[in-house]
Amino acid sequence: MQAIRTTRFSLPRRDLLRTSPRLTFAAGLIALFVAVPLAYIFIRALGAEPDAWQRLLQARMWKLMGNTLALVVAVTSGALLTGVSMAWLTERTNLPGRKILRGMLALPLAIPAYIGGIVHLTLLRPRGGFIPQALEAIFGQPVPLPSPIGFWGAAFILTLFTYPYVYLLSSAAFHRLHASMEEVARTLGRTPRQVLWQVILPALRPGLMAGALLVALDILAEYGTVALLRYETFSSAIFIQLSGRYDRSAASILSGVLVGMAIFILWAELRLQGKARFTQMESNWRPVPLASLGKWRLPAFFLVLAVVSASLLVPMTVLIVWSIRAFLDSQTLNMVFRTGSLGFGSFAWNSLWTSSLAATVAVTLSLPVALLSVRHPSRISRLISRFCQVGYAIPGVVIALSLVLLVNRLLPFLYATPFVVVIAYVLRHMPQAIRSSESAINQLSPSLEEAARSLGRTPLQTFLQVTLPLVMPGILAGGTLVFLTSLKELPATLLLRPAGFDTLAVRVWIWAVDGYYMQAAPAALFLVITAALPLYFLLRRERIFR
Amino acid sequence: MSARVVVYILILTLTLSACRSARQTEEPEPAATQVQDTSGSSTTTQTAGDEISGRLVIYSGRSEPLIQPVIDAFNAQHPGVEILLKAGSNSEIANALIEEQANPQADVFITTELFTVQSLAAQGIFQPYRPAGVEQIPAEFIGPDNQWIGLTRRARVIMYNTDLVSPDEAPESIFDLTDPKWKGQIAAAGSTNGSMQAQIAAMRQLNGEQATEQWLRDLIANEVTFFGGHTDVRKAVGAGEFKLGLVNHYYFYLQQEEGSSVDIVFPDQGEGQIGLITNATAVAIVKEAPNTSAAQTFLDFLVSPEGQKLFAELNYEYPLLSGITLRVGVQPLDDFRLADVDVARAAQEFEATFDLMEKVGMP
Repeated sequence: MQAIRTTRFSLPRRDLLRTSPRLTFAAGLIALFVAVPLAYIFIRALGAEPDAWQRLLQARMWKLMGNTLALVVAVTSGALLTGVSMAWLTERTNLPGRKILRGMLALPLAIPAYIGGIVHLTLLRPRGGFIPQALEAIFGQPVPLPSPIGFWGAAFILTLFTYPYVYLLSSAAFHRLHASMEEVARTLGRTPRQVLWQVILPALRPGLMAGALLVALDILAEYGTVALLRYETFSSAIFIQLSGRYDRSAASILSGVLVGMAIFILWAELRLQGKARFTQMESNWRPVPLASLGKWRLPAFFLVLAVVSASLLVPMTVLIVWSIRAFLDSQTLNMVFRTGSLGFGSFAWNSLWTSSLAATVAVTLSLPVALLSVRHPSRISRLISRFCQVGYAIPGVVIALSLVLLVNRLLPFLYATPFVVVIAYVLRHMPQAIRSSESAINQLSPSLEEAARSLGRTPLQTFLQVTLPLVMPGILAGGTLVFLTSLKELPATLLLRPAGFDTLAVRVWIWAVDGYYMQAAPAALFLVITAALPLYFLLRRERIFR
Repeated sequence: MSARVVVYILILTLTLSACRSARQTEEPEPAATQVQDTSGSSTTTQTAGDEISGRLVIYSGRSEPLIQPVIDAFNAQHPGVEILLKAGSNSEIANALIEEQANPQADVFITTELFTVQSLAAQGIFQPYRPAGVEQIPAEFIGPDNQWIGLTRRARVIMYNTDLVSPDEAPESIFDLTDPKWKGQIAAAGSTNGSMQAQIAAMRQLNGEQATEQWLRDLIANEVTFFGGHTDVRKAVGAGEFKLGLVNHYYFYLQQEEGSSVDIVFPDQGEGQIGLITNATAVAIVKEAPNTSAAQTFLDFLVSPEGQKLFAELNYEYPLLSGITLRVGVQPLDDFRLADVDVARAAQEFEATFDLMEKVGMP
């Protein structure tokens, strides 16, 4: 496409295609900003004393790696299975209530996994949980139930709160998938099952890979849930190291290895993604006829309802009940709504402004990078764009560790201010902004910009007057994503917050781990609702809520 | 299209004003506390003339619910000072203090055991201060050159659920916890907990490295559940999830206060046993603290009869200031044979304690 257009325009076109040094410089600076914390962790890890390495290799490393990989594999498979089946049932079958279920299946994204974990733990914990006790009261003796603690518990909880990634991407893919593809396969004699394996799933593959990647990286970075359910992974082990000996080399080594694993997963995804592209003509798109579930209609409905209940309805109900009880109990209410830095208003405000600022900065920084990689594609611009997205692969605890060390040495005036928290959010969530900006700019035909240039606008004027207004919706969507994930962020905030500066996520965590669930509930509920609102608009935009 | 630009600019300015006002909130907040606290401060004694102001940053290894009431009582007396608290585990906070040596942020450090303050004192993290009335605190609970001051004492005890365990059955020694008959029935705090770290450090000194290693390995083999903190432990024992819990003594009293059927064993009192392991909370002022005068006033308050009384009443602890009565029902430490631990030596060997916990893979 690009090549064809070059021949049509003469003057401004050459100008546009030539790499823009200023833009490259700006994007390069941004990549550097992202690269420094990462490089610093590697330097610290490699520079650690051989003693520390040896101690870790002997005692912990392999067990941690096994634990972490097992959880990543289990949750990714669980999320793929749940996400794809939920997407198929709500997009492709005559499931009762599918329209409303579509939205409800996506909403668990607004609930941080550790909040879901807290709820399920209080309901299910062996002997002391609500459900085991109720069953014991009914049957007069303890009823054996699966425990939410340990590997299976962690895998179950994390699957419940990460499958929406896969669900959203695969339901979009199902929706776009061309009816004629399946029809052709059927007329060529394939059975419905063969069609599923040979046509549908391969066509879904890019979406599934992207979803699986998000889930896998999320699990590597997860701290709250695994700490709560006492399953040790790299992230929680780094936390333990930080609250153990007075020496950060062990934490740095573990961080280095963890980031190495994340980069390996990113690389594997790139390799597996392959070169397969599925092109479809938009012009003759028509919806695939819905499959009839027959006698399975009701069981399928209850299956979807079970998923929605466990991931959305039960946590929300429990949070609402706890919040009401907190409001009815004056002592708890006084603890929640006190004045000063510990008051609800203070930490709710902190959450809102740090997340909004992070979203604004991330989106602003993403623009030069996205513009460069889309409008001036080259090896360098691709490299810069990829590099800026490495934040996905750096868990919050690692970003926090490197920022503590770096900022205190290089920018002491910034140390122990909320702005370090914002920097962590930006570094960690910039990939979402970059991907959104890139896809928004990609959808905009360059001919509009070329027209502006040929009418005498400077590149900056063109960007501000033509490009920016047109791609704004896509960019705002990216900003919303950054806002949403920053709001839910826990480990980096825990480590980087200055004294007296708490966010909703931190408050919920501190209260809940000490067992003050009633006190934590209003903050948790507010956090979930604040995250759900932008998510709702995002989903409407993506036509999930139709 | 231009409407969208307006929206974008609106968001930008909103966020910018947000961060500006976030910085400004530091100013108006003390005023707000002042208004709220005037009612309470009328009843409390207030030394005129040397009223402190500004911000007092407290790093606490004690968990927030246990220290916040004491801070609130101090704040009621000194409404002019804004108190910012950061609570975490002892060594997490210790790490932060070491990191911030060149760029001090905190004024006061409060810890749940003596080994951390002692080893930080040896690294020159603190400045000396001798609060008024400190003569009434036993000399062994005052750091070298007054670099730290002990506040309260606590004992490591076994609590048990009386619905599940009869008093005859209850273990008499912490070494009974490795008995297979308690397999999977014991809750304790994990390797990140200061009191647990200190207990292991004390046991290394009392019983030697090897016996302690064996004890830890046996605990793990006995499927002891290690929680992040003791609140979880006491609640789990109170709810009957576990028969036994290894805790600080006041967790038993706190759980009893909630109405659970629990009882307490002060272990290892027999002939030839190690005796009751105790430790103490301590407080220190950070060197080059941004607000040293407020920190000193805070320390004065903590060692004053009023402050000490708060620890005894709110949290069932043993105040170190002599002459403070214990909360009704708390068994005095004089009734027990106490294990004798050399604080300076334990602090020097604290690193080896971490090595040991890591070696046995304690969660």
